[in-house]
Amino acid sequence: MRYIILAFRNLGRQKRRSFLLGGAIAFGILVVTFVNGFAGGLAGNLEQNFSQLLGGEIFIQGVEKTASGRRVELISDDQALGSAIADSRIPVRFVTKSSTFVGTFFFHTNSAVQAVVGVDFSESSPLRNRLSLAQGSFDGMADPAGIIIGQQTAQRLKAQAGDTVLVQLRTITGQMNIAEFHVAAVRHDPGLSVSFAAYANRAYVNAQENLPADAYQQLGILLRNPGETDAAAAELSRALSRRVTLLPPLPKATGGNMMGSMLRQHNENPMGAMMADLMKQAGEGSYRGTRYRLSTIDDILGRLQLPQVIGAINGISFVILIVLFLIIVVGVINTFRIVLNERTREIGTMRALGMQRGGVRNLFLLEALLLFLAGAVTGLAGAGLLMTLLSLASFDPSTPAFMMLRGGHPSFIVSPAQIVMPLIVVGIITMFGAWLPARRAAALKPVDALTAVH
Amino acid sequence: MKAIVKRHVWCAIAFLALGAPALWAGSDQPDTGVLLQQLDQMTNFSGDFTAEYTEISQHPGQQPAAYRHNVYRRDRDGAMTIIMLSPDSQRGQGYLEVDNNFWFYDPESRLFSHASLKQSWQNTEAMSSDFFRTTWAKDYAVESWSEGTLGVYPVHILNVKGTNDQVTFPFKKIWVRKDIGLLLKAEDYSLSRRLMRTVYYPQYLQVGDHYVANHMLIIDNLNVGSKTELTIANVSTAPLPDYTFTKAFLQQVNR
Repeated sequence: MRYIILAFRNLGRQKRRSFLLGGAIAFGILVVTFVNGFAGGLAGNLEQNFSQLLGGEIFIQGVEKTASGRRVELISDDQALGSAIADSRIPVRFVTKSSTFVGTFFFHTNSAVQAVVGVDFSESSPLRNRLSLAQGSFDGMADPAGIIIGQQTAQRLKAQAGDTVLVQLRTITGQMNIAEFHVAAVRHDPGLSVSFAAYANRAYVNAQENLPADAYQQLGILLRNPGETDAAAAELSRALSRRVTLLPPLPKATGGNMMGSMLRQHNENPMGAMMADLMKQAGEGSYRGTRYRLSTIDDILGRLQLPQVIGAINGISFVILIVLFLIIVVGVINTFRIVLNERTREIGTMRALGMQRGGVRNLFLLEALLLFLAGAVTGLAGAGLLMTLLSLASFDPSTPAFMMLRGGHPSFIVSPAQIVMPLIVVGIITMFGAWLPARRAAALKPVDALTAVH
Repeated sequence: MKAIVKRHVWCAIAFLALGAPALWAGSDQPDTGVLLQQLDQMTNFSGDFTAEYTEISQHPGQQPAAYRHNVYRRDRDGAMTIIMLSPDSQRGQGYLEVDNNFWFYDPESRLFSHASLKQSWQNTEAMSSDFFRTTWAKDYAVESWSEGTLGVYPVHILNVKGTNDQVTFPFKKIWVRKDIGLLLKAEDYSLSRRLMRTVYYPQYLQVGDHYVANHMLIIDNLNVGSKTELTIANVSTAPLPDYTFTKAFLQQVNR
């Protein structure tokens, strides 16, 4: 207790120096915690937002070989899929069946290319919650030919809710078709400078693609707990393998373009690229019926190179951490060397009055520990306050970074390990920085210390 | 009296049995299946075919763009090779249709990738299949026909429908010259029977027993104001080495 009082007193004697050193430690902890929180929030929000937009955390796509031997992206009989989902007992929140094509929109003399996803617009569809409308309403989707287009597309076409647009597309077998769609609403684009997709009624999309009315191309499964995606996918994969021909998982995308260019490259729809891969995987070999592939939201984010983006942010965080650690360790060593010089005679007096070598060393280390604790608490509190204040900020859905936000607000996710690990490292280097001057202080002979001249 | 009536009935029956077909024949009813076969026979070559194609494409608000390329065809094998000559940025790029696969060769990356004959050609209203042999008789059947004139030519106007779901345009309306069975105009319709593009064939060049449309005008009926004019020059039917229809040829052209 005596040492603690002494340590507090010593720190208080050089308030400015203690404040600066503690501040450096606090700043280091704050920056590292904030960057970790930002990267965690970014990864979580992107994953959640993409899941919501694409209608699932787990996806099943099928390639059917027709009587003429042609491979088409189609699931026409989903009895086996239904029983596999039921048997796997995965926690299903909602199942979305969708058909997709990439079409060229025409309105007067303007044109734009956009993917069109055909889904069921029932009242319970989560799509109603996840699409933010800039114009029009979901009521217009009661019209079989209703469509919700993205803001960028609407701007390019100079079209608005209530207009009728023509869409040029290819049927499932590659024939040319022109469909008439009625713009029910214009949605805010999800950011990242992409328009992503327009949404229409599946039955109408199927008719345009020359697909059977109740067929679809992709089954999306939204889980009650998205954190269990991998386990649920493994369970479902086992159940599916017992019933249908399941192709190997999606090959991981490597290197190359970053997110935005990836989206544009695949007609602004990552599912298009996945489908192209699936067609290749399904192969030309002699088989009958349908071949399926199961993929997860991580596979899609992998194709969009999001893990690389998150990895880059974490890399930046690590570099910042190293730089800050170097600053802290150099700062602590220098500060305690100055302290040692200033207090040499005082140390001599304390040693003459009976304080042991270990006592002198412990006093120095205790001062460093108190500085670290004060810095850590302040840094964590500052990071918490900063993240809380930033998460109160509200952004317009049209903002380019909307996909990185949660409901229009920035959010930060820091795991306990991401808090504890920097604290341990900063704690160790602070104590190490203080240890060298403390050992020198403890090694001083009382006579030499008392006669030292500064 | 009864005998007179009976004689009239017999006369009527005899007229219907003998006279009506004669009158029908007088209306010049064509064998529509033969007409489609004729279209293929007139424009597909039994030997090899080489020509230089130039397309000038115009889109509203844009400068006209020009593309030039050589086409090598061996219709009996369903083979075609295209080598881009201009613009400079695309010079050396090649396309190869062989064994029902259409390949694109990029000399910069030196890689081949799959392409489709059904795709639009460059940024024009033409399609890659417009340079290829025709398959009217195999891919289309006549739904209805009528007679008319196009310019100074008496024509058969045929409404044709795809016989399979692989044809790019499921419906077409074509104007075929009555005298020599050449295509003068074609309207391409989507599955929803909406007019997508109109192609005019105002000039033909006779090469032996066959004809080549050496001037075509393609109008985009959706993207109003967009059109492509296509001209063909340096036509040759000299035999080509087999090598012309291989991937190695595309690679060698660029060395």
